[in-house]
Amino acid sequence: MNPFATLSFWEQLFASTIRMTPPLLLAALGALFSERAGMSMLGLEGIMTMGALSGYLATYFTGSVFWGLVFGAVGGILLNLIFSFFTVTVKANHIINGMALNILAPALATFLFRATFGESTTVVVGNVMQDMPIPVLSKLPFVGTVLFSHKPLVYVAFLLVPLTAFFFNRFKPGLNFRAVGEYPQAAESLGINVIRVKYLAGVMCGLFAGLAGAYLTVCSLGTYVDGIVSGRGYVALSALIFGRWNPVSILWATLFFGMADAFQLRLQLALPGFPYQLLAMLPYVALVVALVAIRGKSVGPKAVGQPYFREHR
Amino acid sequence: MPNPWVSPTPGGYFVVNERLVKFLVPVLSLLLAFGIGGILIVSVGKNPLEVYGYLFSGPFSNLNSFGETLVKATPLIFTALATIFAYRSGVFNIGGEGQVVMGAVASIAFTLRFTGTLPGPVILIISLLLGILAGGVWGLIPGVLKALLNINEVIVCIAFNYIAILFMNYLCSGPMKEKVNPQTPQIAESVRLPRILPGTRVHLGIVIAVVTAVAFYYFLFHTAHGFKLRVVGLNPQAAFASGYKIRTYTILTMFVSGAVAGLAGSVELHGVGYRLMAGFCADYGYNGISIALISQLNPLGSILVAYIFSVLRAGSSTMQIATGIPTSIVEIIQALVIFFVIAGTTIINYDNFKPALERFAQKWRPRKARKEGGAG
Repeated sequence: MNPFATLSFWEQLFASTIRMTPPLLLAALGALFSERAGMSMLGLEGIMTMGALSGYLATYFTGSVFWGLVFGAVGGILLNLIFSFFTVTVKANHIINGMALNILAPALATFLFRATFGESTTVVVGNVMQDMPIPVLSKLPFVGTVLFSHKPLVYVAFLLVPLTAFFFNRFKPGLNFRAVGEYPQAAESLGINVIRVKYLAGVMCGLFAGLAGAYLTVCSLGTYVDGIVSGRGYVALSALIFGRWNPVSILWATLFFGMADAFQLRLQLALPGFPYQLLAMLPYVALVVALVAIRGKSVGPKAVGQPYFREHR
Repeated sequence: MPNPWVSPTPGGYFVVNERLVKFLVPVLSLLLAFGIGGILIVSVGKNPLEVYGYLFSGPFSNLNSFGETLVKATPLIFTALATIFAYRSGVFNIGGEGQVVMGAVASIAFTLRFTGTLPGPVILIISLLLGILAGGVWGLIPGVLKALLNINEVIVCIAFNYIAILFMNYLCSGPMKEKVNPQTPQIAESVRLPRILPGTRVHLGIVIAVVTAVAFYYFLFHTAHGFKLRVVGLNPQAAFASGYKIRTYTILTMFVSGAVAGLAGSVELHGVGYRLMAGFCADYGYNGISIALISQLNPLGSILVAYIFSVLRAGSSTMQIATGIPTSIVEIIQALVIFFVIAGTTIINYDNFKPALERFAQKWRPRKARKEGGAG
């Protein structure tokens, strides 16, 4: 029988898309804060890894999913403060520091994990966040399963999209962020403390990306393994570019990548004999194709990656 | 007592000794990174001196271990050169990881198919050339996308890394699978790179790597094309105004950069690996970037830094067995070195760094010399 012809295949595909999207969405929104304030965020992958580990450890030791998420965010913020210090205060190259963050975070996470649990190879599973089906709505056929039977953080992630859009388009601090990313000298002359805004953006980015990482351990896997983020940080960064630094478009971009991921996982189940590596390439191929498709139309904040010297005019 | 940071000029002014400052940045960064690593080691209740002792003594405990450091340094020199070459012309090639893999894939596909039909050395040379070509093409695509469509090369390179690695894993567990294990068959003895140090696994690849590094150094710093390439990297506006074809440079450098990385994979295959399996050459591309940055983008310096990295890599397993400290401490230290080297390089390039250092030197001069008005 053709597996694609059944309703349940599509129902599960879409539900799985909604489950795969939040880490990408949270990370991309986090990077949006950073990039809007002129910081290039290649280090997303590293921040997510740190969030994944600290979220897992906190859940394991407190038994509470809530504290897991809180500490996931804290871990992300602390790690990103390193990046903020070197890029904002020292004014060093953003891309290289981001890459260094991506080397540092997984190594540090492995170190801390081994220091906590020793060399044992047994998987220590912590608590996992429970599903929270929305009353009435989750009973709807098809739509109920796809949209309204998820974990609380999934709803929160999607709700953050309009909030972020509001922040950047209608809210004065958000507009200040944009000014800093476009033309920091002008922003400074209007009385905006550019350095402070950049640090704030770093904290927001760490918070969101840390949550995104914690989602992977606290909401889906229940444990930490090396390489758990597996490129999601880079995909989220591409979603940011694909979404042209606009929260609503970022939502569509992350749904697109989330779907590519969900699709390849479903296909692996539907086509057991087919080599899974070729299917696992799909999200990355989709990424390159997407970048080619929007070429030239995508223009980010002008001062991204530029060092800001207050005394330069 | 002369101040090593500055050298006096006849007029009584001081000139910052740039070479010394540039050399001190990586050295101090290494010390600082090992210091912080030491704090981490203390925090888990171990003695950092003992741990570092194992880290550095392990690779030199016998001839074979020493040989392993040279074996491990070989691909790292290539991948560092790949990064240096691209970075010098203003392109950040983060795709070394995938280019290494594609080089090795092309080599093994050719070698397994044609062994026996041609003499061994001929197969070997063609295979190395194919590795160069495959890596080059894998770097060329992001280069073309960047030059012609202005697509961020960093993200494309990362996607290409994942695609290449998945492709290799597919070959190992599918079309090229050897019996039960997910790995390819070994290549024949006749097509392997010759060993050059008896009692070790050191192979001809280290010589190829060093020769390549010297050639790159000569090209970048002693030829007109190398000079132009560096101008494009340092100041694209000036290069554009001088009529340099920046797009052509971007595409060509990405090809050459990928080609060197591809050679790394090919040499590793013919020199020590002999077969592909999941995890082949893992992290060599990323390590190459770290090495390139720490060596201040100097091809000759990268040989030394690559060797330090390979000692750390070789010593880390001894260290883990002896002390229980995970090998990831080495990666932590490497990442910290990058942070510090880049920060240090940025700081010495500040507009006011040199004047501040020169003012400091004036104060530091012995009182007597200042009175005499000479250049102490």
